[in-house]
Amino acid sequence: MNTASKDKTLASLADFHDEAPLVTGNLKFHDITELVSSHTEKKTPLAWYGAFSLALVGLMLLLIMIAYLFWNGTGVWGLNNPVGWGYAIVNFVFWVGIGHAGTLISAILFLFRQQWRTAINRSAEAMTIFAVICALVFPTIHVGRVWAIYWTLPLPNQMGMWPQFKSPLLWDVFAVSTYFTVSLVFWYVGLVPDIATLRDRATTKLRRMVTGVLAMGWTGANRHWRNYEKAYLLLAALATPLVLSVHSVVSFDFAVSVVPGWHTTIFPPYFVAGAIFSGFAMVVTLLVIARKIYGVENIITVDHLEKMNIVILLTGTMVGFAYITEFFVAWYSGVQYEQYAFTNRMFGPYAWAYWTMMSCNLFFPQFFWFKKLRRNITFMFIISIFVNIGMWFERFVITVTSLHRDYLPSSWDYYTPTFVDVLTFVGTFGLFFTFFLLFLRFLPIVAVSEVKGVMPEADPHFYDHEGDGHDAAHAVNVNAGQKQ
Amino acid sequence: MSETVKRSNPLIWLIDPLKSTASNADPAYRFTWSQAAWMLPLAIGIAGLVISAVGWATDSHQFYFSYLIGWTFCLSLTLGAYFFVVIQHLTKARWSVVIRRIPEALIWSFPLLAVLGLPIIFGMHDLYHWTHLELFDPASPEYDPILAGKEGYLNMPFFMARMAFYFIVWTFVSFRLYTLSIRQDVTPEAGITAKQRKISAIGLVLGGITTAFAAMDILMSLDPHWFSTIFGIYFFAGSFMAIMAVMVLVSMLLQRNGMLNGVIKVDHYQDLGKFLFGFTVFWAYIAFSQYMLIWYGNLPEETIFYRHRMEHGWETFSAVLLICHFIIPFVVLLGRWSKRLLPLLGFMCVWMLVMHWFDFFWIAAPVLHNEHAAMSMYDISAWLGLFGVFSAAFMYRMSRHALVPQHDPRLAKSLSFTNS
Repeated sequence: MNTASKDKTLASLADFHDEAPLVTGNLKFHDITELVSSHTEKKTPLAWYGAFSLALVGLMLLLIMIAYLFWNGTGVWGLNNPVGWGYAIVNFVFWVGIGHAGTLISAILFLFRQQWRTAINRSAEAMTIFAVICALVFPTIHVGRVWAIYWTLPLPNQMGMWPQFKSPLLWDVFAVSTYFTVSLVFWYVGLVPDIATLRDRATTKLRRMVTGVLAMGWTGANRHWRNYEKAYLLLAALATPLVLSVHSVVSFDFAVSVVPGWHTTIFPPYFVAGAIFSGFAMVVTLLVIARKIYGVENIITVDHLEKMNIVILLTGTMVGFAYITEFFVAWYSGVQYEQYAFTNRMFGPYAWAYWTMMSCNLFFPQFFWFKKLRRNITFMFIISIFVNIGMWFERFVITVTSLHRDYLPSSWDYYTPTFVDVLTFVGTFGLFFTFFLLFLRFLPIVAVSEVKGVMPEADPHFYDHEGDGHDAAHAVNVNAGQKQ
Repeated sequence: MSETVKRSNPLIWLIDPLKSTASNADPAYRFTWSQAAWMLPLAIGIAGLVISAVGWATDSHQFYFSYLIGWTFCLSLTLGAYFFVVIQHLTKARWSVVIRRIPEALIWSFPLLAVLGLPIIFGMHDLYHWTHLELFDPASPEYDPILAGKEGYLNMPFFMARMAFYFIVWTFVSFRLYTLSIRQDVTPEAGITAKQRKISAIGLVLGGITTAFAAMDILMSLDPHWFSTIFGIYFFAGSFMAIMAVMVLVSMLLQRNGMLNGVIKVDHYQDLGKFLFGFTVFWAYIAFSQYMLIWYGNLPEETIFYRHRMEHGWETFSAVLLICHFIIPFVVLLGRWSKRLLPLLGFMCVWMLVMHWFDFFWIAAPVLHNEHAAMSMYDISAWLGLFGVFSAAFMYRMSRHALVPQHDPRLAKSLSFTNS
C-alpha cells in the first residue's frame, strides 16, 4: 500500500467517523428542490390563513396602539420621573438582539466554514430582517413628535441644525440602519439562485414574471456562480463586524451614562453575547415549528437543532458569567452607588424580575449539558421560550432597576407599564409574524442551492469508483499534492 | 495510562509528564533538529535572567515589575494555547490538526510557570500597593477607606489561594489534554477524541472563569483603586491573538529546519493569519470599548487609569500601542496576499508578539513610573530571560514526541485542507 492510498483510506475513515450527514432520509438533489419549492407553489393551506389572520390581528393592535399614542402623547405609557425609559427601549433592545443570530449564522458561521448553517441560514436571516423592523418601531414612536423623526438623520437644512453626533442614540440610527441594509442585501443575494429555481418551475405567467424579475437573469452559468460566491464572501466579511458593532452601539446607549448598573465597561461584548443567545433561542422556537409543518425534518435535522442548543448553552453561560462579573466588580469598585444598584437588583422591589432573568438565562440553559435533553424537541422548545422570556427580562432589569432608584432617594419610584405599553409590545409580534408568515408562504425557507452544495454528491469525486475511470487519475493527483 | 506511554520521572515532570515517544513517531512527523533547538533559547534565557538578577540586587522595585511583565507574557501565551486547543476539540476542527501539537505542547508550561512565578511572591510588597497593611488600619495616617473595603478580596492569603487554584485548574485540564493526545500518538484507541472533547467542554468553562479573575488579580490589582469589568476579556483577546503568532512562528522554524514540509502548508498559514487579523481587531474592539466608555463617563475613579497613561511621557507609549498594535497590523493583514506571503506573515507575527508584550508593559509599568515614563533594560532582560527558559522547555517537549497528533481521526482532512 503506498502512502497515497493509505492517506485516502484515512480520509474515508475520517468521513465515516466524523459527523452525521447534514441531510438525512437519503434525499437526492431533486428531492430537496421539490421539498422546499413545492410549499411556495401549492394552494394556500387553510391553516396558513388561520395563522396569518391571527398575525394580522396583532398587527392591527400595534397600529391602534400607535395611533392612540400619537393622538395622546407618551403620557399614555407608564413612564414616570426617574424611569424615563421603559418598555420602548426594552423592546427595542429585545428585537435588535433577536436579529443577531441570523447574521451570526449567515456571516460568521460562513467564514468559519460551518456547513450546517446552510439548512437554517435562510429562515434565520429572514428573522433578522423582520426583527430589526420590529425594533425600529420603538425608537421611532418614542420620540413624541414623530413627524420630526427625520431629524435623526444628518440632513442639511435651512435652520443649520444637526443631530448630536456625540450621542450614542444617533450612532444607533447609523448602526441599525446599516445593519438592516446589509442584512437585506445579504439575504437577497443568497435568495437569487433559489428564486431562479422557482422561476424555472413556474407554471403561471404571473409567477414567472415576478420570480423572473427577482431572479435578475440568473442562469446558473459558471460566471454567475463565480461572481455570486465572491459577492457572498464580501457581504459575509462586511456583515461580520456588524454582528459585534450593532449591539455594542446599543449597549453604549446605556453604558456611556453614569447611571450605576449601566456604566460598566463589559457592556459591549456582554450585549453581543446576549443578543446571539436570544437570537438562537428565537431561531429554535421558530424552526422547531416550521420544520414540522413544512416537513423538512430531513434538512433541518435534530443535529442542527442540537448545534444551536450548544450555542445557546455557550452564550447563556457567557451572559451569566457577565452578570456575576458585574456584580463582583460592583462590590470591588468600592463605589457605594454601584454596590447599591446591584444589591437593589437582587433584593429590591424588582427582585422578581432579576431572578426570572437569572434562572431563564443562566440556570435553565445548563440542562443542555445533557445530550439527551438538547436533542429532545419538546424540551428544547420549552427552554427556548424561557430564554426568550429571560432575555426580555434582562433588558427590563437593566433599564428599570437602574433608573427607578437613582442618586436622589426623594425621587425614587416604582415603574409599572400601562396597557398601552403591553399591547404595543404584543402588537410587534403581530408585525413580526405577518412578515414571517408571508416569507414562509412565498419564499423557499431553506437555501436550496447551499444545502445541495454541502451534500456528499456535490463533491466532484463522489462518483469515483463507479467504473468511469476517473478515480485512477485522481489518485495520482493526491499523491502529487501530499508528498513533496 | 496505557502500556506504551509512561510517566516521566518527577524531575522531568515539570517539563514533560510523559516519557519520550519520539521513537513511535511517523518519520514524516519526527523532530530532527539538533539539541540547539532548546539549548539556544535556554542560553538566552539564562543570560537574560542573570542580567535581571543584577537588577534585583540593584533596583528590586524595577526588577519585580519587569519580571511580572515578562512572566505575564509567557502565562498569556500558555493561556492562549489552552483556549486554542479547547476550542479546536469542541468545534471538531479539521483544518488545524497539523498545527495542534504546538499549542498542545505549550499548555504543559503551567507547572514551569508556577515555579517561575515564585519570585513574584517575594516582590508582592513592591508590586501590589494593597499588600501594605497600614492601608487597612483606621488608626494609621495611610488609611485608605476604599482599599479597606476591598480587604476581603485583596489580601495575601486569599490572593495566594486563588493563584494556587488557577494553576491547579489549568494544570489539571492541560494534563488531560496533553497526555490524551500523546497517548493517541502511540495507541490510537477509539474514544480518545471523545474524551478530549469532554475535558475541553469543562476546560472552557473553568478556563474562562479563572482567566478573567487571574487577569484582574495579576494586572488590574496593580492599580487597586481602578476597576473595569471588561478587563478579563481584554486579557483574553490579546492572548488569543498572540498564540496565533506563536503557532505561525514555530511552524516556520520547524519547516526551516527541514520538518513538516508539505504537512503544514500555506493554506494553514493563511487561516492562522486570518485569526491573527481577526483577534487583532477584536483586541482593538475591546480596548476601544473600555477606553471610550471610561472617557465618556468621565468618572475620576475610572479615568485615573488612562490619566496615568496620558501624561509624563506615557502618552507616547499609548500612541505607539494604538498605532502598532492595531492600525499597522490592520492595514497590513487585511488582504489575502499578506497572509499567504510567508516572510511578511512571519514578520507581522514577530511584530504582534512584541506588541503583545508592549501591551502588558503599558498596563504595568506606569504603575511604577507614574511620574516619569521610563523603560528599563531589565524590562527587556527579564522578558527575554523568562521567554528563553519558557521556549527552551517548550522546544524540549516538542523534541520528545511526534510533531503532529499523528493518529487523530481528522488528520487526513487537515493534510488535504485547501483554503479556497
